[in-house]
Amino acid sequence: MRDKDVHLHTHLSDQDLLLFADGELSVHSANRMREHLAACWTCRARATELEGAIADFVQIHQSRVDGRMPPAAGLRASLRAQLAVAAATAHKSRFRLFSGVFSRQVALACVALLIVAAGVWRMRSGGFRSMGGAFQVQARALPDRTLTPGFTRDVKQADLCGRQHADAPPAVDISTEQIVFKEYGLPVSASKAYELDYLITPELGGANDVRNLWPEPYTSTAWNAHVKDELENRLHEMVCNGQIDLSTAQNEIATDWIAAYKLHFHTDSPLPNPENRTASRINHASAWLVALQLPRLSVFGLRPASNR
Amino acid sequence: MTDSNQDSTISLPLPAMASATLPAVHSEIEAEVVSLFDQFQDRLFGYVLSFGLTVHDAEDIVQETFLSLFRHLQLGRSRRNLRGWVFRVGHNLALKRRSANQASGINVAYDEIATAHSCPGPSAEEQIAFSQRQKRLLAVLQALPEQDQRCLSLRAEGLKYREIAEILGISLGGVSMSLARSLARLTRSEGRE
Repeated sequence: MRDKDVHLHTHLSDQDLLLFADGELSVHSANRMREHLAACWTCRARATELEGAIADFVQIHQSRVDGRMPPAAGLRASLRAQLAVAAATAHKSRFRLFSGVFSRQVALACVALLIVAAGVWRMRSGGFRSMGGAFQVQARALPDRTLTPGFTRDVKQADLCGRQHADAPPAVDISTEQIVFKEYGLPVSASKAYELDYLITPELGGANDVRNLWPEPYTSTAWNAHVKDELENRLHEMVCNGQIDLSTAQNEIATDWIAAYKLHFHTDSPLPNPENRTASRINHASAWLVALQLPRLSVFGLRPASNR
Repeated sequence: MTDSNQDSTISLPLPAMASATLPAVHSEIEAEVVSLFDQFQDRLFGYVLSFGLTVHDAEDIVQETFLSLFRHLQLGRSRRNLRGWVFRVGHNLALKRRSANQASGINVAYDEIATAHSCPGPSAEEQIAFSQRQKRLLAVLQALPEQDQRCLSLRAEGLKYREIAEILGISLGGVSMSLARSLARLTRSEGRE
């Protein structure tokens, strides 16, 4: 900061007082200011007024953010996922660049190193879970809040009611899907028991975003995807009838959908024979999972033949 | 220069090693970006909200900023003052988003936001007095030129004058004059009580 020539016999300007308080002056200028302030009550009173204005501004600035800041963990998870995609595509383009120059073995070594490095980084940073422990296939009726806090589109009640089923649920692209399964540490072999589900359903304003998607067990728990469908339909009805706020409904389903089900269906366990309403399911995900099962089915089909 | 056997065996694998370190660099940059994100995301979020954008927009912009940072570092560009860089990119993205929103008729009023969060005071009377004062200060703030509002917000997020000057593309003296002018206005509005 430029050196200020402080005149000890005239009062300090607001600008000087602020530069001093903000630590933007050179040591020499700051010392001169300090000397002046020690002697001058008028300038000290003015400095206090300015501090008061700063406090006022900070309060207003804070009130814009208070309560509106989304959980950092969710944002971080989403950023990491996007970085992983960005790094993968960047690596691919470099790979092409170098493949003409270096041998295939070297290229393969690069890939191996990338995988090892990514693994080490993940374990060290704790960004992804269940690297060590066995993955519990049955215990995911509720999503991991840090990975799937729920995320909404910017919509109002009127946008979601009125036109009946005008909007089909947005298709989730393969890369998003793979990111979610990977984040949950799900092995491909376990994926048949799951389907990629929105935590906050699109009918309630849920977004097509990794923060709003998790692999939900299809049938392995009593609280499965079919049961959640029932709740989603009930909440959608209630929102459109004005019985419940849209934001309250979103919050209930994102926080603990099982508790919300118990509340709205007045029961402690899922009601029997829920209708198979799968409007909000992601057909794309199911298709992908079916495709993965096909090779396994053909192996089973061979076995009786070889026994004969 | 010695042309011994040892030298030639050492120099042979060099190109392979150079290429093998590339992926490691990627994951290092990734880790660095995440660490910078942890340091600055809440501040950037607060600054972006001060443009009168929605939470959704602010989140998008924060994410976009750090993705750009990743690409910036990946290309081996300057690492000088990355905090300033992050705010400059966030600032530009916020401006762009706001003008896009204005073009499509989306607007967020500050008044609703600030008055919705009333501070819990000991008595109802004090609360009313508090919110009236808040409203008056808000009116003063909103009457300030855009540039002065940005200066205040950036300073409130802890940036140095030099960084603010770079982000807004103004001189160092311009920053200190703007801040002093705005704060003087706020103190004057108090004197009128």
